[in-house]
Amino acid sequence: MTQTDAPVTKKRRIGPLVALAAVVGPGLIAGLSDDDPAGITTYSVLGASYGYRLLWVLLVSTVALILFQDLGARIGVVTGQGLAGLIRQRYGARAGMMSISALLVANIGTTAAEFAGIAAGGEIFGIPRWISVPCGAIVVSVLVLRGGFRGVERVLLALSAIFLAYIGAGLLSKPDWGAAFQGLVTPTLPPTRDALLLSTATLGTTLAPWGLAFIQSYAVDKKINPQQLRLLRIDVISGAILTGVVGFFVVVSCAATLNRNGIPIDDASSAARALEPLAGHLAAQLFAIGLVGAALLAASILPLSTAYSVCDVAGRPAALDDSIREAPLFYGTFGAVTVIGAGLVLIPGVPLVPILVGTQVINAVLLLPLLFYMSGIAQSRTLMGEYAVGKLTASAYWIVIALVIVSIGTLAVLSFT
Amino acid sequence: MIPVMLVRPRLRGNRHTLVLQALSEALVSVAGLVGRPVRAQDGTPVGRLTDVVVRADAIHPRVAGFHVRIGDRSCWLHIEDVAGVEQGHIELAQSRFDLVDVQRRPGEIMLVADVIDHQLVDVSGVRVVRASDLYLAKTLGVWQLVGVDVSWGSFLRRALLGSASRTPTPAQVLDWAGVHSLAVSEGSFRLNRTQEGLRLLNPGELADLLDDLGRSERLELLQHLDLESAADTLEVLDDEDAVALLRDGTPERAAAILSHMELDEAVDALRDLESEERERILASMEPASLGRLRALLLYDEDTAAGIMTSDLIKIGADATVEAAVAELTAARDRPDQVASVVVMDGDRAIAEISAAQLLGVPPEQPVSQLINSGLVTIAAQASMGEVIEAIADHRGTGLLVVDDAGTPIGRILADDVVDVLAREHERRWPWQSELGA
Repeated sequence: MTQTDAPVTKKRRIGPLVALAAVVGPGLIAGLSDDDPAGITTYSVLGASYGYRLLWVLLVSTVALILFQDLGARIGVVTGQGLAGLIRQRYGARAGMMSISALLVANIGTTAAEFAGIAAGGEIFGIPRWISVPCGAIVVSVLVLRGGFRGVERVLLALSAIFLAYIGAGLLSKPDWGAAFQGLVTPTLPPTRDALLLSTATLGTTLAPWGLAFIQSYAVDKKINPQQLRLLRIDVISGAILTGVVGFFVVVSCAATLNRNGIPIDDASSAARALEPLAGHLAAQLFAIGLVGAALLAASILPLSTAYSVCDVAGRPAALDDSIREAPLFYGTFGAVTVIGAGLVLIPGVPLVPILVGTQVINAVLLLPLLFYMSGIAQSRTLMGEYAVGKLTASAYWIVIALVIVSIGTLAVLSFT
Repeated sequence: MIPVMLVRPRLRGNRHTLVLQALSEALVSVAGLVGRPVRAQDGTPVGRLTDVVVRADAIHPRVAGFHVRIGDRSCWLHIEDVAGVEQGHIELAQSRFDLVDVQRRPGEIMLVADVIDHQLVDVSGVRVVRASDLYLAKTLGVWQLVGVDVSWGSFLRRALLGSASRTPTPAQVLDWAGVHSLAVSEGSFRLNRTQEGLRLLNPGELADLLDDLGRSERLELLQHLDLESAADTLEVLDDEDAVALLRDGTPERAAAILSHMELDEAVDALRDLESEERERILASMEPASLGRLRALLLYDEDTAAGIMTSDLIKIGADATVEAAVAELTAARDRPDQVASVVVMDGDRAIAEISAAQLLGVPPEQPVSQLINSGLVTIAAQASMGEVIEAIADHRGTGLLVVDDAGTPIGRILADDVVDVLAREHERRWPWQSELGA
């Protein structure tokens, strides 16, 4: 028992920073998880092949990311439902089924890509993949299943600090800032199939379907209120900008070294290896650390996000505090995505590259209907009430959709001629 | 009326198939009716069915009519103008009916637009489900909504076959009587039907359901609860979740729910609101609870006073057992579960006597004779660590909180300490939490 003479104090006032901290997470984590191994690979190839010239594509992708991440978070906050479930409710069983099937296949493939990233990053440090991949899978599962939502959130936020490694690697490579700025603001596109492919891939990897589904479930789970939407928007925009900045430094470090010396690369780990003689040991290691960290971040999100989406569509219980008996579909999906994703990488002789390319294709194809559905939901007064978007914002969404259609369409035409 | 139809694959083999077949023939699938022709008696198609409307005033709601698309016009077809409902088509009673535009009336639910593929609360199973299909049946000459299909199979049938899927596949059907619909719609009508089922759920179960529902559905369910259950449920929820719910509703409703909550829990929720929202809610509160809540809000939430309730029964040392019992009886229905009286000497507390100690004692005996042990108190400014230590040492169910002058100002109950510990636990890193936590 204590007796002090201090007067009884009032409750501390909630400052603006504390209020922001309460909503931080969705934008930052969902944004940065788009800088996963697939994303880093695309950015590295973009920088190594075209130098600073296609940086503007990254800028456009970042703007599209801001628009749709913000929309996803907004739909989540206002409706309190996940994307897949809402699609079923608004567009019917068939749309719901198609979305969830495509999402399931694409997410399993993307999970495999993340584990491939863990394997590649591990090999740079001399760890064989049959150790790094199972360890990664176990760490990620234990973290997500045992940690509960708020615990996972902190680990993910801490993990996203790893992305600073890319900024370090970028600075160490002594880029030509003038050329970088010029490439960022002047849209030029070399008229080759390859350049268009890379530009579309950049847009597609930045604006990933699973990221959109994830940010929405995240906003639902965090119980953010419509009154906090303004704060959430700060989180979403800064997360998307940070995503773009990380991508910028990856492109820049590859442009300053690999492109200048004419070294072509085909994936992110070969970029890390190729960086070593050009930018030094530290830059290469920072690059590899970033790769593994990004892969772990995305690999912890993907199975969880998929499990939420599947249960959401099916109308089955999905919560981390339910037991396996209470939520078999939830844990079943979580386990299947993790095991198949990690397993694909471990099977000797499995054609990993076609799987990863196929995944990117499904992601690109899936992106279009998802963007359509999201814009439709955003304009629906029934679902969004007073938070339904007006014509002006809606037209911004349609511009992005048109951009995606044009890129995919041109690419399809070029691929078949 | 069809009895509870929870069909589980408990029946094996042939019998199972036969039961399902018979059931399937007795039912009409609502999803399967969509797009089917509405025919005149001579068989000529008049239009196509787009929705089925029921009146939500019975356990098994009666079909009120249909929405029919005739040309590019959406028309209302009253059930009285219908001669027969079959899975393949709907037959009109007369060769003509008045073309009336569709209008949404209060108390009606559009099954396709409002219920199919939407979230529903399965009250008997205590879970949130999505309706894959709805089944109508004709009982005693009246078409009624009898069941909701929540199976994967029916969802797959609709997703893969689309409009070709007309046959009901009743595999996992819930009786509509055990289902709570949250059909919120543009017209936003309220269901008049009282939900007996919801009352049977405990606050923990209601909290789980609220957690699984979408935002508007969550608000709808909270609206359907009486104030007592709503208050109890909010006490169970995390502070953040409780605050989210209070924010969503009207300030009046929030004020009403808060005044049915334990004082300390209500204060906890109010603390997490921004000052503007808090004032709006407090403004619609009754003066009695308002004064107490305001007084409690003045304390720091990390001190003993911050988690206490100020609902105390104080009596003088010369009071009789009868008076003490009368005070306790009067407090029986208050939310804070007061189970003891504080014996006062002037402004200072000298003892606490529990309700159990008063049992079987002659009514005229003064309470001072029952005092047998020293009084354990804690200072208002004591930290959480000190509170937990004091409770652990004292092994009681609560602690009396006193101000600097020794005047009792409130009481901390063991459940408040459990809340504190649970919160601490949640703040830990994942690897520090134990299995099942």
